[in-house]
Amino acid sequence: MIRLALPKGRNLDAALAAFRAAGIALSGLDAAGRSLRLALPDEGIEILSLKDWDLPTYVGHGVADCGIIGSDVLGELDGDLLVPVRLREGRCRMSLIGRSPGSVPGPGGQVRLATKYPNTAHRLVAERPWGAEIVKLSGSIELAPVLGLAELALDIVQTGRTLAENHLVEIETVAEVAPCLVVNRASFQRHRALLNDWIGRLEAAEVVS
Amino acid sequence: MRVSAALPTGVAALLFESARRRRDAEDRMVSQLRGARYAEAILPILDYLEPYEELLTAAARGELYRFIDRDGELLALRADFTPMLARLLAPRIESLELPLRIFYRGDVIRYEEERAGRQREFYQVGAELLGLPGEPGEREVLRLFLELAGLELPGLDGTGKPGGALQVVLGFAGALDGLLLAADVDDPLRLAAAVARRERGEVRRACPSLLRVVEDGLPERPEDLGEAAAGRLHGLLALRDEMAGRFPGVLLSVDLAEFARHSLDPRLSVAEGERPYYDGLVFHAYAGAAALPVGGGGRYDRLFRALGAELPAVGFSLNLERLLQSAEARP
Repeated sequence: MIRLALPKGRNLDAALAAFRAAGIALSGLDAAGRSLRLALPDEGIEILSLKDWDLPTYVGHGVADCGIIGSDVLGELDGDLLVPVRLREGRCRMSLIGRSPGSVPGPGGQVRLATKYPNTAHRLVAERPWGAEIVKLSGSIELAPVLGLAELALDIVQTGRTLAENHLVEIETVAEVAPCLVVNRASFQRHRALLNDWIGRLEAAEVVS
Repeated sequence: MRVSAALPTGVAALLFESARRRRDAEDRMVSQLRGARYAEAILPILDYLEPYEELLTAAARGELYRFIDRDGELLALRADFTPMLARLLAPRIESLELPLRIFYRGDVIRYEEERAGRQREFYQVGAELLGLPGEPGEREVLRLFLELAGLELPGLDGTGKPGGALQVVLGFAGALDGLLLAADVDDPLRLAAAVARRERGEVRRACPSLLRVVEDGLPERPEDLGEAAAGRLHGLLALRDEMAGRFPGVLLSVDLAEFARHSLDPRLSVAEGERPYYDGLVFHAYAGAAALPVGGGGRYDRLFRALGAELPAVGFSLNLERLLQSAEARP
């Protein structure tokens, strides 16, 4: 039995679509369901339903063998996970957001930068000619520049609609964000044949890159 | 006054039964090590930082607890026994009778991000075999490692409940250097990191001949690695088969992708890893149903060379608490 951790957040639909396109049915799994743990004995899979930010911990600790998680979350945590493939669907971008392109300071300038991703933000700022005080928030990041808590925000942008509605602009795309298949190192050794089969089928279905 | 029983992040107190369990396990290991004629070294928990400055990678430096002593010396808490033992022995090597078999036990303290299963203080038992070059040294150390782990994870020798309780992944430093340097990429270090993470897209774009290593841990043909590395791979596969015969309860695999960042070529040896001194056999072990990393080891002749001594060296360490935890089944 292999344990697959699926995220509750925006990546769940992309994950289910990719697995099903690859012929891994996950039958009986209902995206709207509330079950936290579901055994699929016919497929030899047990599904864990986890919050995005907890999922890498479960996989890293070997409680789940593998999972699907966004590269935004992965980049924020210092985990030692295998990342064999990235899903094509569900991609978005991580961008610097502000009220105008002029929100970015000139060389030597200092701003406040609101984000859910403080480690990623620190790495980004380290490469810039300006400095920033990182303001860690857990949601509604867009409000920070709107209300003046911070001049800039670093956050996920999918369609850009939230930004437009709040009179914000996407100043710079910092990274492409993709849902990733992550695998525990020891689990890869133990379930190598099955995982290679899954990855091969995902590749053949052209739902990953 | 009511006092709090809280402890700092990453440390734990073992009381009563849990303390007894650990001491019992430690006693069994020590008696096995003494039986194999390994002699104990007791090392300090505080040491100067300066002798290690040249040996530390950024990752290893980031783990250290460093501070300034009252006399102004820069000190560090013990984060790794192996370099400490090496720097104490290197200047005395001519007066020592070789081969030398040494074991140690004690706490190491490393800064770790707060997350499940990562303690900042943990108890290690380890052994070093000095002065025995090549495969005989590696065979002895790997066998001793499996015997010690088997004291807490019964069934590794094939008696009793069968296998999967211990997984050991074997490789050797520099195995993929030839393929990594031959790849058409600007940054072979980045490619090595992608191989170690088994990122297929990046590896396929940069070096299709590494794809097979990423999938199966081995190249399509050993010769793909170059003559010297192919010879080493044959030797390692034979060692694996020998150990698999002796310990049928252990899942032993040779996987070169796992150790892609352990390189020998100077162009690649800006290693990101935490234990960058391995230059021959390298191995990691995972135990129990949750496959906790419980230890590992390898050959590290170049550590002595960096300290001015020519001495073949191979060793391992086991994380005792993780090993005991791993004996509990995954729910």
